[in-house]
Amino acid sequence: MKLRNAVLLVAAVLMMFVWAFPVVWGLLTSLKTERDVLAYPPSVVFEPTLGNYADILFGATSILPNLVSSVIVSGLTTAVTMLFAIPAAYALSRLELPFKRGAGFYVLATQMLPPVGLVIPYFLILRGMGWTDTYQGLVLVYLTFALPFAIWLLVSYFEEIPREMEEAALLDRAGRLRALWYVILPQAKGGIAVTVIFVFLNSWNEFLFAVVLGGNTVRTVTVAMFNFISLEQTQWARLAAAAMAGMAPVIVLGLIAQKHIVKGLTVGAVKGGGRR
Amino acid sequence: MTNPRKGERRFALALFLPALLLLVATTTLPLVYLLWTSVQRIDLSMPWLTGFAGLANYAQLGGDARFWSSLGLTFIYTATTVVLQVVVGLALALLVMQVRVGQGLLRIAAILPIVLAPVVAGLFWRSLVLAPDFGVMDFLTRALGLGSYNWLGDPQLALLSVIAIHTWQWTPFAFLVLLASLAALPPDIYEAARLDRAGPWQRFWHITLPMLRPAIVIVVILRMVTALSAFAAIFAATGGGPGTATEILNLYAYRLSFTELNLGYGAAVATVLLVITLTVSFGLFALRRGR
Amino acid sequence: MSKKPDAPASGARRRIVQGALALPALTAAPWVLRYAHAQGDLGAYQSAKVDWRQAQGEQITVAVIPAGYFDALIAVTPEFEALTGIKVRYEKVPPGQIRQKAILDLSSKGTTYATHAADPMYYDLYVSNKWVEPIDKYLGDAKLTDAAWYKPDDMIPAWRGANSVKGRLYGVPFDGESTLQIYRKDLYDAKGLKPAETLDDVMKNAKAVHDPDSRVWGAALRGFKGAGQNMYIYPSIFRALGGEWFRGGSFNGNSKEAVAALEWYVELLSKYAPPAVRNWNWPDLADAFSQGTLGLYIDANTSASVLNNAERSKVLGKIGYARWPKGPSGKRVSSIWNWGFPINAALSDKAKRATWLFISWATSAETQARTSWKAKGPVKRLGLNRLSLWESKDFATLAGGLGSNFLQASIDSMRQDLDVEWRPRMPQWPAVGETMATAIQAALVGQQKPKEALDEAQGRIAQILKS
Repeated sequence: MKLRNAVLLVAAVLMMFVWAFPVVWGLLTSLKTERDVLAYPPSVVFEPTLGNYADILFGATSILPNLVSSVIVSGLTTAVTMLFAIPAAYALSRLELPFKRGAGFYVLATQMLPPVGLVIPYFLILRGMGWTDTYQGLVLVYLTFALPFAIWLLVSYFEEIPREMEEAALLDRAGRLRALWYVILPQAKGGIAVTVIFVFLNSWNEFLFAVVLGGNTVRTVTVAMFNFISLEQTQWARLAAAAMAGMAPVIVLGLIAQKHIVKGLTVGAVKGGGRR
Repeated sequence: MTNPRKGERRFALALFLPALLLLVATTTLPLVYLLWTSVQRIDLSMPWLTGFAGLANYAQLGGDARFWSSLGLTFIYTATTVVLQVVVGLALALLVMQVRVGQGLLRIAAILPIVLAPVVAGLFWRSLVLAPDFGVMDFLTRALGLGSYNWLGDPQLALLSVIAIHTWQWTPFAFLVLLASLAALPPDIYEAARLDRAGPWQRFWHITLPMLRPAIVIVVILRMVTALSAFAAIFAATGGGPGTATEILNLYAYRLSFTELNLGYGAAVATVLLVITLTVSFGLFALRRGR
Repeated sequence: MSKKPDAPASGARRRIVQGALALPALTAAPWVLRYAHAQGDLGAYQSAKVDWRQAQGEQITVAVIPAGYFDALIAVTPEFEALTGIKVRYEKVPPGQIRQKAILDLSSKGTTYATHAADPMYYDLYVSNKWVEPIDKYLGDAKLTDAAWYKPDDMIPAWRGANSVKGRLYGVPFDGESTLQIYRKDLYDAKGLKPAETLDDVMKNAKAVHDPDSRVWGAALRGFKGAGQNMYIYPSIFRALGGEWFRGGSFNGNSKEAVAALEWYVELLSKYAPPAVRNWNWPDLADAFSQGTLGLYIDANTSASVLNNAERSKVLGKIGYARWPKGPSGKRVSSIWNWGFPINAALSDKAKRATWLFISWATSAETQARTSWKAKGPVKRLGLNRLSLWESKDFATLAGGLGSNFLQASIDSMRQDLDVEWRPRMPQWPAVGETMATAIQAALVGQQKPKEALDEAQGRIAQILKS
C-alpha cells in the first residue's frame, strides 16, 4: 500500500510540474529584468525584481483600471448567468418541463454559434442600441455564451443528486422553491462552484468581443495586455507581470471555490440507499 | 393526479423561461444575420460586386482546397484535443482523489493553465518556450540529448504543438468538472461492489464510469465547442501557419471575414462550422441518455 | 489675421506627465486655468494664419495602436486642446485589430473614430468604398490650412504618394520608417566586410559571419505569415529584381522575378538564419539582434531605438546601418511604411474640420519636433514625417548615438529608395497580401517549392479577383 501511494504521489508531482511549468516560467519571467528574459541558456538563477509589477500596476500604463474593468464585466456576467441558469438547470434536470429534450438541445445549440460569425452582427446591434463600449452591452453578449454553458454544466450536477432527497423535502410540505433552495443547492455546491469559476474565467479571458465591442470605458485586462506588445518590441517581463496580475483574481476565486468542490469527499450523502 | 403535475409544469416553465427567452432574444437576430450574409456577395474590397448570391458561396466551398484542408485539420485537432482532455482530465481527477497528502496544492496546480489568458499562452509558448535556439523547450531537449526541433516552424510539428497547447490549457476544465462529479458520487455504491469482490479496475469500469457518463458527455460537447471556436492561442502562436498547417476552420473563417474582408464567403464558412458543430453535438447528445 | 495669445490665467499650474487614454471632463472655465502653462508655448502654432478655434467645442476620438510614437503624441495633446478648444480622446487598439475595428466603424457609416492610424495599403479599399475624405479639399482651403506655415510638400513625398489613390491624398503621414540593413559592425569590421551592395553580397556576408555554434547566425528576415510581416520585406527583393505586380492590367504574382525573389529569400533563410525565423516577426528579430545572435537583418530603421535600449541590448555601439542592396539593374527598394491619419467621411462638417485641425497639428513640423527631440517624456520619436527635420541639427544629435551611418542611410533611403509601387496597390490588398504571405511562409518551411507556392497563390488570387 505504501509503495502504491508513493508511486502515485511521484506521478502526481511529475504531472503537476509539467502542467504548471509554463505558468511557473511566466512567473519567473515576470520577476526578471528585460535583459535576463532574453538570456540564453534560459536563466533560472537571476536577480529578481519587483520593478515590472510596480510598472504595470502603478506606472504610466497601469493596468489597475483594466483589472477593475475586467472584474466588473466578469462579475456581472457570472452573477446574472447564475441567476438565470440555476433555476433553468433545475427545471431541465429534475422537473416536468414541457418539451424538455427539445428545449434542452436548443439551449445547448445556441452555444454553437461560431463567435467569428457573431462579431459583426453583435457590433451592429449594440451600436444600434447605443451600447457599444458599455458594461451592459458586453455583459449581454457574454451572457449568450455563458448561459447555455452554465445551464448544461449545472444539469449534470443536478442530475447526480438522488431523487429521494427532494421527495423527502416535498413530503415535509416544504414547497418546491424551498426544496430547491434548502435541499438541492447545498448538495450541488461543488458543481455550482465549478460553474462559477468557469463562467467567470471564460469571460475574464475573452478577447475578440472585448476588443471589438469595448473601447475606452470597457477595457479589460486581455486587451490592455497588448500595451506591452507594442509595434516596436515585446516587453516580455512586463507582459508576464501583467499576465500574472491578470490571473490573480481568478486564482483567488478558484481557491475559494475549490473548498466547495471537494466537500463531498468527506461529507457523506444520504445514509443508506442512494441508488438512482 | 393531474393538478400537482400541472403545478409542477408551470413551476418548471417559470424557472426555465427567463433563460430561454433571453437566449432567443440575443441569438436569433445574429443567426439570421449570419445566414443572410452567407447568401450574399459582400466583399468590402470590391464593393461593386455586392448583391444576392444565392448558394454561390457554398458552391465555392466545394472547389476550395484550402477549405477542405482546413476541415480535415479541424477534425484532427478537435478529436485529438477533446479525447486527450477527457482522458487526462479524468485520470488527474482520479489521481487527485487518491492522494491525500498535498491534495490542495495539486488542485491549485491543476487549474493554472486555464487561468492564463489564451492570447498570452500562445505568445509565451511561441517565443519563450517553443522557439528553437531561444526557447526553454529547445534548451531542455538539447540538454536531454534529444536534439532540436522547430516545434512551430515545421508543418507537422506545428499541428502537434498547437494541439498540445490547447490540451494543456483546457484539460483543467475536464479535470475540475469530473472531480466535482466524482466527489458527488454516493460512496456506498462502492461498498456494495467491494462486497461483490470487484477489483478497482472493475469498479471503475462498471460503476464509476457509467455514473459519470452524462457528465463526460457534457464535458465532451462543451470542450468540442471550445476546440471548434479556438482562436486566440493558435492565432498568437502560429497565425494559422506555417503556411496553412494549423489553420482550423474557425481561423479560416476569421481570415476570410476580417482579413480578406470577404464577408459573404466567410459567413458561409462560419455557417458550415455551425452545422458541423450542431450535427456532432446532436449525435453526442443522444448518447447522453442511452441506457 | 493671427491670434493674440490670451493672458496666462493665474492659478494652479499642473504638469501633465502622460495621458494615456480618457481625458478628464472639462467645463469651459477651468480648462483655461488648467492649460495655462501651455498657452505660452503655443506661439509657434498661432503664427499660422489659421483660426485654430473655428471648431471649438467639438469632441473627436482617435484610434491608435499602443506604440511609443503615439504615446509621445498623446503626451502633447493637451497643447492642442488648449490651442483649439477641441477635445481629443484616444483609444488604443492592439495592432492586430485596429484595421478591423476601423473598417467596422467606417463600413457601417459610424462616427466613433474621427480618424485613426491607418495602414497605407488600405487606402485603395477605403477610397473605393468612399469611406474617407480627399485631403486636398482641406489642404486647399485657406481657412483651414496655411500652406506657407504647414508646408505640405515638406512631408516625405513617397509617403504621401503611398497614401494617395489616383494622385489624390487621403491620409496624412504621421510617423513612418524605411527599411535598412542592420548589421553587426564589429563582426563585419573584424572580417573586413563592407555592408552588402548587391543581393549576392548579402549571401556572401551572411556566410562569412555565420557561426551557429557560437550562437551567431549570418542573417535573418521576417518569416511570420502576414501582409505586414513577411510580405513587408519580400516585395523589396521582388522589385529589386525588376518584378512588376501587374501585367496587362491584371495581378501577376508568379512571374519569374517573383519566383527568383522567393528563391533568394528561402535560400538566405534556410542557410544562414536560425530555424525559428519562420515564425519571427520584427520584434523577434530585434530581440535576437540585440542579444547578439544575428549578423544582419533587414528591417525598419526605427527598431534602432529598441536596439539601443540599454535595458536589454547587448550590442550597444556595435550597430551599423546601410541601405538595401541593389538588384541587377542597380535599383534599391526600401519599404514604405507610415501611419497616416485619414478623415472619416461620415462625420459632420464641423467634426471634419475639427479632425483636420487635429491632423494638421499632429503632422506639422512643430509637433513632430515636440514629439521627438523636444519631447519631455522618455520616448523621443524617430520616424518623423518631414525630410527637413531629418536633416536638421537637432535630429542629428538625437540620432547620433544610434549606430554607425543611421542618419545618412535613412535619409538616402527615403530620398532615393522609395518606390510607391513597391506593393500591389489595389482595394483587394488585404486578401492579396495575406495570400502571398501564406505562400512565402509555405516556401520557407519547405511545405512547397517557391514556384509551386506562388502558382497556388496566383490561382487563389485570380479566383478572389474574379468579378
